[in-house]
Amino acid sequence: MNNNFSVLIIEDEKNISNFISKILTSHGYRVITSLSGKEGMYLIASQCPDIILLDLGLPDMDGVDIIRQVRQWSSNPIIVVSARIQENDKVQALDAGADDYITKPFGTSELLARIRTSIRHNNKLNKEAPLFKYPYKAMDLYIDFLNHVITLKGEVIHLTPVEYKIVAYLALNSGKVMTHSSIMKEVWGPYVEEDNKILRVNMANIRRKIEINPAEPKYIFTEVGVGYRMLDDELS
Amino acid sequence: MKNLMMFIKQNNLIITLVFLLIGTGMAFLIFSFASKSLINIILLYILTLMFIVRYTNNYYYGAMAAFISIACANYFFSYPYFKFNFTQTEYFLTCAEILAITLFTTTTTSHVKSQSQMLEERDKQLVEAEKEKMRANLLRAVSHDLRTPLTSIIGEISSFRENADNLSEEEKNDLAKNIYDDAIWLLNMVENLLSITRIKNSVTKVKKSSEAVEEVISEAVTRLKKRIPHANIVVSVPNEFLMIPMDAILIEQVIINLLENAIIHSESTKPIELKITSNNTVAAFHIIDYGIGIDENRINDLFEGFPAREAHTADNRKGMGIGLSICKTIILAHDGKISAKNHEYGAEFYFELPKEELNE
Repeated sequence: MNNNFSVLIIEDEKNISNFISKILTSHGYRVITSLSGKEGMYLIASQCPDIILLDLGLPDMDGVDIIRQVRQWSSNPIIVVSARIQENDKVQALDAGADDYITKPFGTSELLARIRTSIRHNNKLNKEAPLFKYPYKAMDLYIDFLNHVITLKGEVIHLTPVEYKIVAYLALNSGKVMTHSSIMKEVWGPYVEEDNKILRVNMANIRRKIEINPAEPKYIFTEVGVGYRMLDDELS
Repeated sequence: MKNLMMFIKQNNLIITLVFLLIGTGMAFLIFSFASKSLINIILLYILTLMFIVRYTNNYYYGAMAAFISIACANYFFSYPYFKFNFTQTEYFLTCAEILAITLFTTTTTSHVKSQSQMLEERDKQLVEAEKEKMRANLLRAVSHDLRTPLTSIIGEISSFRENADNLSEEEKNDLAKNIYDDAIWLLNMVENLLSITRIKNSVTKVKKSSEAVEEVISEAVTRLKKRIPHANIVVSVPNEFLMIPMDAILIEQVIINLLENAIIHSESTKPIELKITSNNTVAAFHIIDYGIGIDENRINDLFEGFPAREAHTADNRKGMGIGLSICKTIILAHDGKISAKNHEYGAEFYFELPKEELNE
C-alpha cells in the first residue's frame, strides 16, 4: 500500500542503515541509501525521495547544513535520527526545518509511526486549508477548530485564549515534536523573548485541565530540552 | 614564565618600599605631633619590618628593609637630625638588635609558609588519590558488569546459530527475548556512563537550566515504561508549579535508575510510588516501594560506588552499585542530597534539589 513512497536514508553506519532499510522495505517503502552527506544531497536532488531520514553525526557534512540547503528548494519531510545526549543538535535541526526527530535506539513501530505522521502532514500541506479545519480526536479528547471548542469525555474544557492557541497548534501538528521556540513564535508572535518560562507555565495549566495526572500525560508529551509532542490524531 | 618571575621579584621590591614609606611617614607623624622618643620610632620600624617579612617571599628583602630602617631612624629621627651619626655605641647595639629581630622573624615566617604550602600540597594529593581510587573502582565495576551480559549475548547467539534446526519456535523466541533484554540493559549502562562524562567534561559542575519538574518526571516515567512495559508506577506531584534549575537529562537518569532499582530489587509487584514534595528551599523526590526493603548492613555504603566485597553479591549483574553511585555523583553536582531508608513496608529512596542557584 505504501508502494508510492520512497525513503532516502542518509546514515554513515552501515549496520544501522541496513537494519532500517530492511524494516522499511518489508513494509512496502522504496528505499535508497547513502553513506555520506554529499552523496545524500546529490540523491535528494536527483531522486526526489518522499521522505529523508538523516543522521546528524555524518563524517563529511554537518547534518544541520544539509537541512538548510534542502529546505531552500524542497519541503519534503526530513526526519532526523540522533543520539539522546545531543539535545542542542536536535533543536537546531528542527529549527532549521527538519520535521521530526527520532532518538537512537528506536523500535520498529516507533520509526514507522514517525514516517507515517510525516507523510500525512506533508499531504495536508499539499491539499491546503480545508483539511486543517478537520476536528482533532484522540482517545477522549476532541478539538473543534472551527468553533474553538475542546471537549474531554464530552465535557467542555475551558481554556484561556493563549492556552487554546498552544493546544490548537500542537493538535494541528499532532504526532510531531514542536520546539519551544516555534510554539512561542506561533502564539506570541515573532518578537517574543528567548525565555520560555511563560510557555512552561501555560503548559502546566493546560495539563492540569486536560490530563488526569499531570505527571503521567496521555495527550501532550514533553521532550525535555526540545519541546512538546501531542498524541497523534486518530481521524486522519 | 620569566616575565612572571620578574614581576614577582619587582613586586617584592615595591611591597618593601611601600611599607617602608608608610612606616617612615607614620614615624614622621608621631615624631612631629606625639613624642620625640627614639624608642617609639624604632618599635614602629620593627612593626613595619614584620609586615614586610609577612608579605614578601625572600628573606633578602627583610634584611634590606632592616638596613634601610636603621639608616632612616638614624638620619631622620635621632640627634643630629638629617645627618648620619654612627659614632655612638648605642646605635650599633640598636642596629644589631633590629637586624637580629628581622632575621629571626624572616626565618620563622618562611618556615611557617613552606609548612602550610606542604600541607596544602598533601591535601591536594589526598583528594587526587581519592578520585583515582573512585575511578579505578568504577572502571573495575563497569568492566565486570559489562562482561556479564555480553557473555550471555554471545552465548545465546552462538547457541542460536549452532542449533537453529533443533530449536523449537518458542525456544527461539525465548533466546531472542533474552538477547534483547541483555542489549537493552547494556544500553542503559552505557547511558549511565555517558551521563558521568557529562559531569566530568564541564569545568563548572553541571550546566543547569530551569526545568518544570512534572515535565522531567513524565519523560522519565515514559522512557522507563518503554523499557519495562509492566512497570507499575504511581506518580503524585504537588499542584503548585515547580521550576527547578537542573540538568534535565541527568536528573531523568537519576529518577530512572531509582525507579528501576525499586522495580527490580523490591521483589514485589505492588506499585512503586514516585512522590514530589517541596518546601521553601528544596524540592524532594521520593521513590517508595512496598517490598523487602534494603539490607541494613548495606544501607550505609549503598551509594559509595562498588562495595569491596564483590564476592557475595551473586546478583550483581544488575549493577545496582554503579547505578546508585552515579545517582549520587549527579545529585552532588547539583548541590543536592540523596539518601535511602527503610520504612514499615519497604524501602524509600529520596533526593533533594535546591530551588535556587547557590552562590548567585
